[in-house]
Amino acid sequence: MAENKTAIAKTFPVKPKLKPASNKSTPTPESKYWKSFKQPKETPTQTLISSITSLSFSPTQPHDFAATHSATVTIFSAQTLEPKSTIAAFSDTATSAIFRSDGRLLAAGDLSGSVRIFDVKSRVPLRHLRGHSRPVRVVRYPKADKLHLFSGGDDAIVKYWDVTTETQIFDLIGHKDYVRCGDVCPVNDDMFVSGSYDHKIKLWDIRVSSSGSVMEINHGKPVEDVIYLPSGGLIATAGGNSVKIWDVIGGGRLLHSMESHNKTVTSICVGKIGKESGEEAQQYRVLSVSLDGYMKVFDYAKFKITHSMRFPNPLLSIGFSPDCSTRVIGTSNGTLYVGKRKVKENIEGELGEFSGFGAVEEAPKRALRPSYFRYFHRGQNEKPVEGDYLIMRPKKVKVAEHDKLLKKFRHKEALVSALNGKNPENIVAVMEELVARKKLLKCVSNLDTEEIGLLLRFLQRYSTTPRYAGLLMGLAKKVVEMRAEDVRGSEELRGHIRNLKRTVEEEIRLQQSLQEIQGIISPLLRIAARR
Amino acid sequence: MIRGGKSFVSSPPAFSNDAKKLLVCTGNTVSIFSTSTGLQITELGGHTALVTSVIVVPASTPASKILCYCWTASLDGTIRYWDFSVPELMKTINIRFPIHSMVIPELSGQQPESNDKPPHLFAYLSAVDVKEQEHRPNASSGQIRKCNLTESRLAGGVILAETWKPEIITSSPSGKYFGIRDKRKLRIWEVPTKDSARAVYKKITLHHTKSFTTFAFHPTHRILAAGDVTGRILIWRSFGRRTFSDCDPIINGGPSTNDDERPGGRRDDDADSCSTWHWHSAEVKVLFFSSDGAYLYSGGKEGVLVVWQLDTGKKRFLPRIGSPLLYYLNSPDPSLSSISCADNQIHFLKMPSMEILKSISGIKLPGSVPEVCKGLYSGFVFDYTGGQVAVCAENYCIQLYSLLDDCEVSEVQVCERNLQLGDEVTVMVNLVALSLDGSTMSTIETRLPEDGIGGLVSLKFWTCGSQTKEFSLSTVIYEPHRDAGVSGIGFHPTRHMAVSSSYGGDFKIWVRSHEVLQKDQMLPMTGWTCHAVGSYKKKPMTAATFSADGSVLAVAAETVITLWDPQRNVLVAVIGESIEPIVTLSFVGKSDYLVSASQGSNSQVSVWSMSKLCASWSYKLHTEAVASTVDDSCFAVLALLPKSSKSMESNENTIQGTDGVILLFNVGDPVPASTWFVRKAKGGGLAFIKISPRSPEDITDGKPGQTLLAYINDDHEYVLFSPYGEQVHDYVTHPRSHFGIDETEQFGYATIYGELPEFNLKRNQTTEVSFVPSERPWETIFSGSSHNLPPLTKLCSMFLESLLEKRTAIVE
Repeated sequence: MAENKTAIAKTFPVKPKLKPASNKSTPTPESKYWKSFKQPKETPTQTLISSITSLSFSPTQPHDFAATHSATVTIFSAQTLEPKSTIAAFSDTATSAIFRSDGRLLAAGDLSGSVRIFDVKSRVPLRHLRGHSRPVRVVRYPKADKLHLFSGGDDAIVKYWDVTTETQIFDLIGHKDYVRCGDVCPVNDDMFVSGSYDHKIKLWDIRVSSSGSVMEINHGKPVEDVIYLPSGGLIATAGGNSVKIWDVIGGGRLLHSMESHNKTVTSICVGKIGKESGEEAQQYRVLSVSLDGYMKVFDYAKFKITHSMRFPNPLLSIGFSPDCSTRVIGTSNGTLYVGKRKVKENIEGELGEFSGFGAVEEAPKRALRPSYFRYFHRGQNEKPVEGDYLIMRPKKVKVAEHDKLLKKFRHKEALVSALNGKNPENIVAVMEELVARKKLLKCVSNLDTEEIGLLLRFLQRYSTTPRYAGLLMGLAKKVVEMRAEDVRGSEELRGHIRNLKRTVEEEIRLQQSLQEIQGIISPLLRIAARR
Repeated sequence: MIRGGKSFVSSPPAFSNDAKKLLVCTGNTVSIFSTSTGLQITELGGHTALVTSVIVVPASTPASKILCYCWTASLDGTIRYWDFSVPELMKTINIRFPIHSMVIPELSGQQPESNDKPPHLFAYLSAVDVKEQEHRPNASSGQIRKCNLTESRLAGGVILAETWKPEIITSSPSGKYFGIRDKRKLRIWEVPTKDSARAVYKKITLHHTKSFTTFAFHPTHRILAAGDVTGRILIWRSFGRRTFSDCDPIINGGPSTNDDERPGGRRDDDADSCSTWHWHSAEVKVLFFSSDGAYLYSGGKEGVLVVWQLDTGKKRFLPRIGSPLLYYLNSPDPSLSSISCADNQIHFLKMPSMEILKSISGIKLPGSVPEVCKGLYSGFVFDYTGGQVAVCAENYCIQLYSLLDDCEVSEVQVCERNLQLGDEVTVMVNLVALSLDGSTMSTIETRLPEDGIGGLVSLKFWTCGSQTKEFSLSTVIYEPHRDAGVSGIGFHPTRHMAVSSSYGGDFKIWVRSHEVLQKDQMLPMTGWTCHAVGSYKKKPMTAATFSADGSVLAVAAETVITLWDPQRNVLVAVIGESIEPIVTLSFVGKSDYLVSASQGSNSQVSVWSMSKLCASWSYKLHTEAVASTVDDSCFAVLALLPKSSKSMESNENTIQGTDGVILLFNVGDPVPASTWFVRKAKGGGLAFIKISPRSPEDITDGKPGQTLLAYINDDHEYVLFSPYGEQVHDYVTHPRSHFGIDETEQFGYATIYGELPEFNLKRNQTTEVSFVPSERPWETIFSGSSHNLPPLTKLCSMFLESLLEKRTAIVE
């Protein structure tokens, strides 16, 4: 009892009312991981000319990425996240840019119906594949094969090309509507899928190309995107506002349908949790973006949404770099949301060092002498060892300026200091304290014109906020009553009063419309309660 | 019968001569506290009314410092002489007048006695002439009288002064003067050097334009300081130079000046100079000179102790004591003093630095409640199982006070706000409720609005930690019933459910919800959420309670009682129609009866049968509190006696001052089983408390827990007794009796190095007998070839060690 001075009353700073704690639970390690993709501060958000229809990453280091928008393909550097080069040799809007497996060539279609192949470094057009009569919507290179690619377009035909000779090998016919998407099998270069607006996903095998598609899956909605999952046994399809997972080895069985988007899912891709440790390390996820502005992360092993993120625009395309460092999302108005994750790079470096040298003898520690500079700093940066008993410094009570002024009973100065602080919670807390001291109205009557302006500006902004309305609406009324003379005298204050009036009128309108809604709902509720 | 909750600050305390004990007037007794531990040592019991003065006989020689004698005076008209070390009553003087204050000037200025026959010892009393008062009720009732303590009688006919009401006498530390304050005057008498019953008194009067509140004499000089109601401190130097001129001229403070040059003083006042100091904003309550006379201590309603340097007028402060100051006292030990505060606390100060060393905390006294929310206020609640009472204190705290130990358990800060003493009360904790097992508490705090804006009612739920027994905040609900005041809170007897009823016309049922345990969270999140809202014809809800099994919720809607199913929030039945609004509802134990009490001009106590849904019987009584047992079928009512019967009884003069009665009823029987008369029942409370055996012997004895009735009066004094007339078992081991005086003072060697540990020789001998060298290493350590042997330094110590006899360590 001696050490804590029980008798001396503690000082309490003026505290705002508690806010209800948000229901959001603490972020899981996984959502922390997905949140760690952040726009680097030094690079501004890229805004391209028009909507970004496709995004694809180079499979080789350093994983540059290409975005198609308008009649150009822009290649971005993976390091700086800034445009590196632009390919504008298209006659119409470019679609579906894709890198070859070695990352040296880039193929893209356009709405005129041709597929063009470029050298990534020199941007020289190498090949021009003509054959589609309608816009080409999907171009894909196989995972290892460097000589072939397939394309699909609005003429409902999937074509398989030999790139070197610019000839088409097969016409794969079977779709009845626009072919909008497709993907190659990650384990087998001969197989690929295509999705079409006829709700169907067709699985093709060039080895048995004559008999049409190997398998057909009905998604139930026009298919916007289809991807193979890394194992090669599952595919994910997006169409309407659902993403479905299918087992292709098991005969095209539907495993799960994820329907948490509110609008059409436009693009999906495979993401990987590139962490070294943790429960979820090195697991794959399906990332989906939709026109409702949400990016969702779907764990297809547990059939669970693990993370969800909102963007202000309708989203059209998504890409995720193979080294798990970059996540790119393209929107309909050309804004490109690039997220880059900081990776600790020293791990590999350290490993190299240790493997290089063997057991290095540590240099014997030199005893500190008073002639050394460090002698006088010894022990100051000592860290507590586990098991040490820490004596914590007592927590210092944070005292703001208005608290000090309140302690000296300088009420008006405290109010003005809080008003200058611009934090509405603190201002209201100081006002509540002044009410408890019965000094608020006296303070209001003592404010000079400038300070009244400050108060009126605050009242105009916050008096209709539900949290503060109880106190502030009454106060606003009193202020107007008490300081009518001063308001008449000053042009500036009249302006504030006009603003306040406008805010109040707006609030009244809002309340009226809410009452209308209440009037509609309450009979319904009463009827429902009677049953 | 256990009594407690006495006020420690009704009269100034007194230090013993060695400054190790503090004698505090606590009601009818004088409690003696240790200054080093702050715990009660013993008690002087014998007076039959409030003890008003305690004076310790000072030690004239260092040898007599251990003498522990004191005089006490009480309202019962007796002066008693005690040896408080034993403690033992040595002498009683009955003067038959209630004594409000007593001083014995000779004691403080006593010279070492040389002659065999000591002079008579005189005390000056401020007494009330009871007879006079009855004949002429308007006449001045206070009298300053003189009493010969040696001969145990009043000095005949000596009435020094008559005052309107009994005043507090202050005497100077030198024992030469004493005086009283009388409105705007100070009357000072000089004590005759050869005091006798017929001595002539010289007196002076000092005047001021404001009423005096307190004054103090300088210990050596002829200086007097007085405080008034506006907060000014007036200092007269060389008072009474003309009248008391036969004094020693050396101690006449300062050089004597001409009569014409008397700055500040009034022309007709007999003082050289009068200066005014003004710091306090409200009236000065405490004035005291330091023992060397260099400093003046003052304090008042602000709760700040101000130390004035007497010569220069410079100030030092001890701020934030947290309560208005009432008394300040120097101890014989110059490094220790005490201040008594209005919140029933006594702090011991370490002197030059003014640090608070220890505090003696009594039960918090009822605070002042603004008129606006008189009806909303209930200051305390009882803990049924824990034997505690939770009291709302003025500094926004809930004090948990143990009824059995008569000491504070803990304090919970409900509202985090700096207490501004002296201001009007605008923020207060006005309702507190405890669940039946005492694990959950809920409080209501109200902020009064200023001119209609900014009022706030907040409901808080507190949970008790299982280990620490400290309440921690669980949930805050702002404006639980919009801006309407909350009339009552009730807890479900078994589940985590509570109900709050409001004057705004609705009641809410709150339940504790567990949220799911997060992976990285240690504790499950719990919070109280609203489960249901109910109202009945928009009538104000005035009381709410759960039945003993929790299946029925009874809510009083002004004059009718509505019964609800708390789980499904369905109105089950409506009973009764009383004339006045019901303020208290209580289910009687396991029986199917409900007691309701209404207040107003036609106040009533009614018993309702739940099985028949009708009134069983009722009385017209003005009730203050209703308490019902948890597992029995009886209940107790604290009723105020009507004015007519009170005057009748006071004529009988048997039970003076009683204004209330506790009636114990059995539910089925309208005739009270027992009746007790009590005092100060207005604002009092009543509860049944379950006392479980404390010590393990009691548990093995198989004594069951006992249900006692606790009554707490308006001044927060309480009494626990068995309602069935049984003897209260000695469950209450008075812990205070074990606290002896602290250990004897250390001196010499021990003060520097501490005490030498005592060697228990006896035990050493017994272990030595049993010691057998179990191993003989010298036989083995040298065996083997020489190049395999360890180095010699190692071997040698091993060898020598093995030869020595080891004493096994004694585990203390």
